[in-house]
Amino acid sequence: MTGIHFWLAILYLPVCGSKQSVRHTAATASTPSVGNHLALGQETPVELNQNMHIPDGYLSPSTCATLYLCATAGWYAALKHIKRLLATRAIPLISVFAAFSFVVMMFNVPLPGGTTGHAVGVGVAAIVLGPWGSILAISIAIAIQALFFGDGGITTLGANCFNMAIVGSFAAYAVYRLIAAKSNLNSRQRVLAAAVAGYVAINASALVTAVELGIQPSLFHDASGTPLYAPYPLHVAIPAMMIGHLTFAGLAEAVISAGMVSYLQRADLGLLRGVSGLAQTPAPVVAGALVERSPGRLWWAVAFLMLFTPLGILAAGTAWGEWSSADLTNPHTRQRIGIASGNHAPPSSVPLGIQKFSSLWTAPFPGYAPRFIKSPQLGYLLSAMFGVGVLVLASLLSIMAARKWPVKKLGT
Amino acid sequence: MSQHSFVESTIRGFTRAVSKALQAEHAATQPGLLQHLDPRVRVIGIFSLVISVILCRRLEAIAAIFLIAVAIAVASRVSLKSLAKRVWLVVLGFSGVIALPALFLTPGEPLFTAAALHLSVSVQGLRTAALLVLRVETAATLTTVLVLSTAWTHILKALRSLRLPAEVVTMLAMTHRYVFLLIETANQMFESRQSRAVGILSASEQRKMTARTAGVLLSKSIELSHEVYLAMVSRGFRGEVRLLTDFRLRPRDYVGLTAFVFSSCLAAWMGR
Amino acid sequence: MPPTFEVQDISFSYEAIPAIRGLTLRIDEGDHVALLGANGSGKSTLLRILDALYFPSAGSVKFKGEALTQKHFQQDEFSLNFRRRVALVFQNPDVQLFNPTVFDEVAYGPLQMQWSKEDVMRRVDETLQFMSISHLRDRPPYRLSGGEKKRVALASVLVLDPEVLLLDEPTATLDPKSQSQVVDLIQQWKGTAKTVVTATHQLEIVEDIADRVLVLEAGAVIAEGTPSEILSNSDLLLRANLIHAHRHSHGGIVHSHPHLHGHSHHEHEH
Repeated sequence: MTGIHFWLAILYLPVCGSKQSVRHTAATASTPSVGNHLALGQETPVELNQNMHIPDGYLSPSTCATLYLCATAGWYAALKHIKRLLATRAIPLISVFAAFSFVVMMFNVPLPGGTTGHAVGVGVAAIVLGPWGSILAISIAIAIQALFFGDGGITTLGANCFNMAIVGSFAAYAVYRLIAAKSNLNSRQRVLAAAVAGYVAINASALVTAVELGIQPSLFHDASGTPLYAPYPLHVAIPAMMIGHLTFAGLAEAVISAGMVSYLQRADLGLLRGVSGLAQTPAPVVAGALVERSPGRLWWAVAFLMLFTPLGILAAGTAWGEWSSADLTNPHTRQRIGIASGNHAPPSSVPLGIQKFSSLWTAPFPGYAPRFIKSPQLGYLLSAMFGVGVLVLASLLSIMAARKWPVKKLGT
Repeated sequence: MSQHSFVESTIRGFTRAVSKALQAEHAATQPGLLQHLDPRVRVIGIFSLVISVILCRRLEAIAAIFLIAVAIAVASRVSLKSLAKRVWLVVLGFSGVIALPALFLTPGEPLFTAAALHLSVSVQGLRTAALLVLRVETAATLTTVLVLSTAWTHILKALRSLRLPAEVVTMLAMTHRYVFLLIETANQMFESRQSRAVGILSASEQRKMTARTAGVLLSKSIELSHEVYLAMVSRGFRGEVRLLTDFRLRPRDYVGLTAFVFSSCLAAWMGR
Repeated sequence: MPPTFEVQDISFSYEAIPAIRGLTLRIDEGDHVALLGANGSGKSTLLRILDALYFPSAGSVKFKGEALTQKHFQQDEFSLNFRRRVALVFQNPDVQLFNPTVFDEVAYGPLQMQWSKEDVMRRVDETLQFMSISHLRDRPPYRLSGGEKKRVALASVLVLDPEVLLLDEPTATLDPKSQSQVVDLIQQWKGTAKTVVTATHQLEIVEDIADRVLVLEAGAVIAEGTPSEILSNSDLLLRANLIHAHRHSHGGIVHSHPHLHGHSHHEHEH
């Protein structure tokens, strides 16, 4: 029976998690214009205009710190790359693009079924600016929301930028290059590529977000077993997060990405030529030439970072002593608590699905596998690493594949 | 739902963002506690309280920080009514709703059981839901009080002194500046589309229209960025970002900073 | 003394579209020149070439006898020296106002010149006062009116006390009051050593702001003369698309004649 409640909860969470606001009343029939509402002190109800921004309080301090570190590494690499690609043009181009992304995040995208969703704009950013520029532009847009409008978290800023800007940009770019391949700049194939890129990027971001949220209860709980931060384990967090994104948010991003690429094909083809093309309009040469260099080793550095992100979280978790209490890490004790609670839990949902996930990992290992492999934390860790790792690997492979047939001198 | 409701809600979103910024600018000039402190102290102080919120593992300690946050809000002339509307209710409607199933899904000692429904609320479930909601409420209150009492140019200057690279600070500033221009541009496009639209747009036409608006906005943005670049070069920009900082800490700033850091540490220690 | 600008047979195109074709001109120190032309005649491009933001694909541009080439602008000293002496005010003030506040905007130029902090502060305050915009000091650009934006844009270049001012449509889109304030400002510099080159399509301000007029059409200078010479030559103005034949009827007699915008009053003998 508890199984039913469990599935109900999974269906319930995305409904409240992904904001599909249908808050339209007859009173709003007349269009409010920005100008009319500039009166000071006017109160307007604020809805959280976010798809997957993690607010402060959902992630433990060590998770936040680790993800800040990862995001910083991404920002550093992106800044270096973009300065090389764009020389002195980087600042105005990235800034104005970030402002554009910020505004596009506010667009209500009409979706089938009469609902609307919000796009992040990471698909278009990766297509027009390339992955590095996209990382910076989307990160800045997220930071502006958090720092100047108070939307989204401060401690979770690193996590949000990592999930949406870094993971999203790489996923979008990889998918776009893979599907667009050598096709003409104004081909239908590119529109399709943009749609899939946007869709995959949002879902990749959502998956990473879900993993971060899902590892919280097992790593960070107090002596009584109370989860201290996000309360849902992976087997709740992942489906709850993904249902909303596989449907609405992913679709909104796909619609915006495809629609914009199709518009640019007709109106402003130059923007689809890649970021170095943006730097070639008539311009003064200031110190430093525009040199394009292949990313090379940095790709591997980023891949390494992403693979070891979950490890960092775990290591930090140990340092904080948040799962040191021996009897609590012992799945059997927890199960006893569960049974004692009358919450007569079938193994499918209790306790926290630890066994389920660890068995997923111990299963492939025969009996002689070292004992530590059977630890539930390791199960979580491995599944987290697996999830992120698969994403990175897929990105890397497709980018390499795309580079093997370089997309040069494309259509008109 | 009217056919243009998605346009209307987009426009409403723009309106909110602009009115929020203006409200903050107005509040920043009010005589209040935070307004009397150096922006760096405000930013560091509020950030340290937010960090202590996520360090705390006890409800009581987080509740204490919440009270501090409310006190700061009152002392800084941020109206509690606007806080309730902007933060407390919104968080309750979002995180509160998310936390609800945790009451039943978290295994632990049963507190209350509805046998007929096969539901039981565990002590652990209640605690984790309360922790989540209180944490999010407190952190959101703190950041909103900061945003509402500090002109954003001051937050920017504070970030400058927090060792953020000058390029990053410049990009944040420029993005913020052009957000308003692009909001205005997008708003005009939506409004003119809306007034021109005859008959009911099909769903796919609506989507096309939204994407086209975004596309036009993108073309305009890129053009704008080229022009801004030329304007920067024309006034001597050569790739090096040069900023002017003129902050001086006064005695009361040191007092404020000490108070902030002390209460953050105390709360984190009490709530460990 | 070499002329301020000496432009020899330059050409320039955007991608494949030519904007300037074989243009030659000379501007001396203290000149007040109006570049008169319709939209798309190449005025803005020419100003950007004079400001060394674009470099011509053919021909040469000399500033005080020194060639303006990309190579020269790679040297810090040459570049900063030129940027301080020559200033361009863009047509769209939103492009020019890229800083968070009015103060930062006006301080931007001096900071790039690496002046000391005290000098920057003093000079910025002087300039704000001179332009009577001290009260706007801490305003963000999105809270300025069109006229205020223009004044800030002017202040942001005047702060460096440049020798040459290149103004791109300084009065377009302004209300009449702000328009006359800008014209007054330009008039003040007549007879001083400041060289002012104003691109405009508004015939009514030409006499106030310039001693010499160059008429541009399709990227080339098609006529040159004093304001009164040029403004009285309606064939020329028609050719440059600055006026259009105006058809209307008076007492049943339909006739057409050149129509000058701004000079709204005209006499009819019938």
